[in-house]
Amino acid sequence: MPTTTIYTLIKQLFTKKATNPFPVKYAPSNMHGAAALIGSGKVRINPPVNIPKNFRGKMSYDKDSCIGCKLCLKVCPSEALAFKDDVKKVKHYVSRCTFCGQCADICPKDCFAFTDEFLMAGTDKYAEEMVIDP
Amino acid sequence: MSWNDLALRVVLVIIIPFVGIFLGLLYKGFDRKITAMMQSRIGPPWRQPFRDVSKLFMKENIIPDNAVPWIFNGAPIAALVAAFVALVYLPLGPFEPVMEGYGDLILVLYLLAIPAVAMAFGGLASGSPYATVGAQRELVLMMSYEFPLAIAAVTIAWRYGSFSLGVISSDPVWNLVGSMGAIGLVLVLTTMVAVLPGELSKVPFDQAEAETELAGGILVEYSGRNLGIFYLAEVVKMIVVGTLMIALFFPHNISDWYSFGGPEFAGLVVADTLLDVGFFLLKLLIIIFSSVSLIRVAFSRFQIDRASYFYWVPMTIIGLLGTFLVVLEGVI
Amino acid sequence: MNSDNTYEVPIGPIHPALKEPFLIKFKIDGERIVGAEAHPGMNHRGIEFMGMHRNPYKVIPLSERICGICSIVHQHMYVTAVEHAAGIEPTNRARYIRVIMAELERIHSHVLWAGVAAHEIGFDTHLHFTWMIREKVMDLLEYITGNRVNYAMWTFGGVNRDIPKRMYPKIEATLKYYEELYGKLEEIFLGDPSIRLRTIGVGVLTKEDALRLCGVGPTVRASGVRKDVRIDQPYAAYGDLDLEYQLPSLYGYGDTGDIFSKTLVRLKELVQSIDIIRQCLDQMPDESINSEPKMAATLNKLKKADGEGIGRIEAPRGEAFHYVRLKGGKEELDCWKVRASTYNNLATYAPMFMGEQIADIPIIAACIDPCIGCMDRAEIVDVNTGKRREYHHEELHRLSVKKTRDLLGGVER
Repeated sequence: MPTTTIYTLIKQLFTKKATNPFPVKYAPSNMHGAAALIGSGKVRINPPVNIPKNFRGKMSYDKDSCIGCKLCLKVCPSEALAFKDDVKKVKHYVSRCTFCGQCADICPKDCFAFTDEFLMAGTDKYAEEMVIDP
Repeated sequence: MSWNDLALRVVLVIIIPFVGIFLGLLYKGFDRKITAMMQSRIGPPWRQPFRDVSKLFMKENIIPDNAVPWIFNGAPIAALVAAFVALVYLPLGPFEPVMEGYGDLILVLYLLAIPAVAMAFGGLASGSPYATVGAQRELVLMMSYEFPLAIAAVTIAWRYGSFSLGVISSDPVWNLVGSMGAIGLVLVLTTMVAVLPGELSKVPFDQAEAETELAGGILVEYSGRNLGIFYLAEVVKMIVVGTLMIALFFPHNISDWYSFGGPEFAGLVVADTLLDVGFFLLKLLIIIFSSVSLIRVAFSRFQIDRASYFYWVPMTIIGLLGTFLVVLEGVI
Repeated sequence: MNSDNTYEVPIGPIHPALKEPFLIKFKIDGERIVGAEAHPGMNHRGIEFMGMHRNPYKVIPLSERICGICSIVHQHMYVTAVEHAAGIEPTNRARYIRVIMAELERIHSHVLWAGVAAHEIGFDTHLHFTWMIREKVMDLLEYITGNRVNYAMWTFGGVNRDIPKRMYPKIEATLKYYEELYGKLEEIFLGDPSIRLRTIGVGVLTKEDALRLCGVGPTVRASGVRKDVRIDQPYAAYGDLDLEYQLPSLYGYGDTGDIFSKTLVRLKELVQSIDIIRQCLDQMPDESINSEPKMAATLNKLKKADGEGIGRIEAPRGEAFHYVRLKGGKEELDCWKVRASTYNNLATYAPMFMGEQIADIPIIAACIDPCIGCMDRAEIVDVNTGKRREYHHEELHRLSVKKTRDLLGGVER
């Protein structure tokens, strides 16, 4: 039965594939070795899909303008923020963040802002880059 | 039969299963890759089936409590061995079949039925309702596609007056028939193409496994080594069915039309053989592409009654019509 | 096997035909289904209980996580309910943006459903195709909100992010893309011979059954029931827009209620959504997107607020409902109740499954677009081979007490 599907399928055999092979086409057999190679710049990874302008990436925190009003703690749904009493600043656990942006909305001094960074996968949720500690 | 001849055959019988496994896994990789590409995906690398099998053999082999162990464990082995034996009786490319006799074709048809029956028994013995339903479906499907397959085989055999695959593959059947017979052969070929996905349990005839309905059907309780053996049986069966189709309908060789040189130059004979082997692999590729990969992605799974109807009514009628034309021409 | 030649096949709690934990026990005679019994409750996460220990703002992101696909729906209902309870009025521009987002999500949800349906009948090619074209609307949602899923777009009194003029070309381009592809989708899902074989006359829900079992959304519209909250009781900006019930009879097909007509209704709603978004972009007034820009002040206002409110909207799967009660002086929600569309549609399973084949289970299970994550909040099982089982008061009370105890951690099972 020659349906139009078959025609489309044969056409798709030769067109560009829809999958974006990010970061590499096939999973390497040695993940840590590959990660080390990529880290040292010896292997280039396929670029990710372009991100839009208002992307909700990792939060940036401007600790200098923070006045320690604790409003952000009140609206954070996942308790990703903790208040440090000694310095009157906020500690941000990125691994718990849901990227809702309510802390940025409520902040009277606009200390929080979204960045473009989204490569945050890791095995240690308390790694240095996963906790913004003033 | 001389001792040398016998020794050669024994060696070949040992080697051919490995060739079958290698080719099967290779073509399985091809099938998966090309399927993915048709669906606009990248797909797994070509060597993925090799990895899959080696991983399955490393995994734990679980036998359910309410299974019948000896059937449950025996079914995969029976399926694989039947596929191996069938391969030994088939002409692989330019080479004569290792074993031959007078009723090769009938034997191969029976051997092809064994993996399906073994899977059904394995399913019934595994004591799962999914597997039971899957086994029932497998048997229904087998009863449906065997008849069109037999029609196709008998038509070809009738034209040669022999059930020997060696004889059949020595001369393409298309050379023996006129225009009316050729039309008949095309009809028979259509039947054969339709039987292939059913024989290999691929979509649209994968009701026995039906991932979304039966969660794997007959294979639902299988794991580890047993599943790996079923996997191997499946890929070897793919090669067997493809080779059978080549032997029946397209036993052409490049050396029939073009040859590098006469038999006095050994090097050129080897080149000829290599060319023929390459041509055989290409034919196999085309057959697997057209009647497994393409059909697999272009159709949805039929309900079991529709699948059975499809084989029993339209395909049987087309096959019988083809046989009628071929026989009519032969009689005239 | 029983003496009456039937045997039981459980589909679920984990099964490839179901995308979420859910159990249906089937009585099978050969390949025919002679009985079906649904057992929900495998995916109960106590979200409402969690919500009742948080202030209204914290519940907004929580509410969108009730469901992975219709996150806008639950956010929309929850925010509407709280606004209703506290007497907050969103701005008109925000109403239009809410409609645009809801309709974009409807496109996304229906395209996704089409792919799942194709997968259930063993047609993976169309699964990959529909999910490939779904990427476009996901990209658009990411472009507008900054996230592919869980958009965090709603807030009390309006929305978080505006849709300025500079975004119009991209929205228009995406709508055009779907308009051009619609012909192809129709060709695949309404014209492909093997899909027609599997959908026409399968899983029939008659109009009487649809009305009797209170089904909602495309599931019952396919049976010819004129039921759509967007028209019956307009919310957000739907009152200003021009839209119509999408019934198969509108397009010259019969209101048969089989899977084919359910597919048809969903595909036509896709076109309708494109039209609605166009209307919104034309009519959107130019004003602020939030009537309560000061979040801290609103938080205080909500703390003082006293009253109850409902949010009732037409989700891609049908009518869904949120109830919220606020108590003056109490920061947390006093009560929060979610009733998702799948809860209603689950009852329609019984007549649809009866007499069909095992092979039709996945597609029938998928045809109501079940969202167990949304639905699984109550522990009442009332589908028993088509008959309704009724719980009397004491039993319900006992169940309720048990549920509370379970939620509090004193698990006694």
